[in-house]
Amino acid sequence: MKVRDVQHAVLPRTTAEEGCRQNAVVSLRRLLNSKVRPRNVGIFESEAAPAFAERHGRQPQSHEEVREAFLMSPGYRMWSAANRSAQEMIWVSVGEPTYRDLERMEQATKELIEADDKLGSLSLDSSYHPSPEVADVDIHLQPGGYAMNRSDYDVVSGALYECGGNVFSFGQGIGRGDSKAGVIMRLLNEEFDGFKPAKMLDIGCSAGAASAAYPAEWPDVEIHAVDLGAGMLRYAHARAESLGVAVNFHQMDASDMRFEDESFDLVVSHNLMHEIGEEKRRAMIRESFRLVRPGGVVIHQDVAIRNQPTLVHEIERDWDTHFNGEVHWNTYATANLQADMIAAGFPEDNVVEHDLSALHGMANNRWYAISGRKPL
Amino acid sequence: MTNQAQAIAALIESARGQRPQSLDNREAEETLNIALALLVELSVANDKIDRLERVVAEMRGEDVATLRDIRYDGEVAEQRQDATDALLMRALRVLIDPRAPAND
Repeated sequence: MKVRDVQHAVLPRTTAEEGCRQNAVVSLRRLLNSKVRPRNVGIFESEAAPAFAERHGRQPQSHEEVREAFLMSPGYRMWSAANRSAQEMIWVSVGEPTYRDLERMEQATKELIEADDKLGSLSLDSSYHPSPEVADVDIHLQPGGYAMNRSDYDVVSGALYECGGNVFSFGQGIGRGDSKAGVIMRLLNEEFDGFKPAKMLDIGCSAGAASAAYPAEWPDVEIHAVDLGAGMLRYAHARAESLGVAVNFHQMDASDMRFEDESFDLVVSHNLMHEIGEEKRRAMIRESFRLVRPGGVVIHQDVAIRNQPTLVHEIERDWDTHFNGEVHWNTYATANLQADMIAAGFPEDNVVEHDLSALHGMANNRWYAISGRKPL
Repeated sequence: MTNQAQAIAALIESARGQRPQSLDNREAEETLNIALALLVELSVANDKIDRLERVVAEMRGEDVATLRDIRYDGEVAEQRQDATDALLMRALRVLIDPRAPAND
C-alpha cells in the first residue's frame, strides 16, 4: 500500500492554491536540503573554526565548542534561519486547509468511528495523561504537538502529522512511493526468511500510515497500534477505516503497555526512538521484548542520523535538537541501542543494526533499524 | 465556517514553546521570514498565472508557448515598462529614501 499522499475521507481537502503553496514549500526545502545544507561542513572549516580560533586562540574541541563555532559562521546562521522558517511554513501550508476544512473532517470522523460495520477498533483511555516529555513539546514544530485533543471528534494533530509529514518528506527528497512499513517488510523478507506474523504490534503509530500499510499487504494479520494522543489515534482509526483496513488502535504509553506477555509475533516501531528520552526508550524496548513471543521478531526503525563520520557532522546534524523541537534527536543519534536491546533480554548474537535503502526517492535516502529475535 | 485568515490564525495560535533565533539580529531574522513567505506566495501566484495562460491558450486554440511569446512594442511596451518601474520603486523605496537613519 502506498502510504504517502494517500486520499481518504479525513484528509483535508486542499484547494488548488493550497496545493501550490505546499508544493512551493517542498521546493524551498528541497533546495535548502540539496544545495545549501551540504555546504555546512565546508563552512565549518572556512568560517566557523577560524572565527572560533580568533576569539579563543585555539580550535573548537568539544560538542559545545563545535556548536558555538557553527553559530559564529554567517553562512551557517543564514541556512539555519531559512531552514527554521521553511519548517514553520510546512505547518502553515497544511494548517490552513486543516482548520478550514475541519468541520467536514470531524463529521467524516464521527461517521467512520461510529459505523456499525467497522473493521478495526479504537480504545481511548481518558484516565491516561500523555507523557509530558512528548506531549508538552511541539515536536518538529508541529503546532499543538502530538497529544493535542480539542474535542470529542478532534483530528487536527493527526491531519497535521500526515499532511506535514508529506510536505517534509518530499522536501527531504523522499519519494512518494517510499514506505517505512514497506522497508521493514522487505527486511523481513530478505533477512528473516520471509517472516509473516499472525499478530503484530506497532508502537508509537502517530497518524497510522504504517499501521494501515501492514494489513493492506498481509490481509490476515491482526494488528494493534499504540500512541499517546487521542486526537492522533482518532484520526489514525478513521483513516484506516476509510482505507478499508482493520487496525486496532489503543491509547497507551510506549513504556507501559497493557497487553499480556508474549502476545505478538512481530513488534515494530517507526520513527519513535528519536521522539522519546533515554529512560522511556529503554522501557519501550523492554516492553517490546516482553510482548513478543519466543521466536518472534522485534524491529525498531528510525531516521538514519546515527554513526556520523566526525564530530562536526554530528553537531551539524544536531540542528534539530536546538531549532526544530526535536529535543531527543541527539540522544537517539548517539545512543548505544545495541546495549539497550541486550539489556532488555535479546541475546547479543541476534541483535543487528541495519542501514536500509528507501523504497523510492533520492539514492542517498536511508532508514535505520535495529532488530532482535526472542529465543525459543 | 472558518475562513482562510481564521484558519491560519488558529494554526499560529496553537504553537507552543520558544522560537530560537539563528541570526544576530531579531529584526533581520523576522525580515528573512517575511521574505521567504513572500517567495512562497510568489510561487503560488506564478502557478495561478500559468494556469490562466493555459486556459486562455486553449480557448484561443493555440499553443501555450505561442501565447507566452506575445510581445508588445510602442505604447503598450511603454505602459508595461512604467508598471515595472513603479513596482521596483515600491519594493525598493527604502533604498532611495533621502532621509538619513535617525540612529546616526
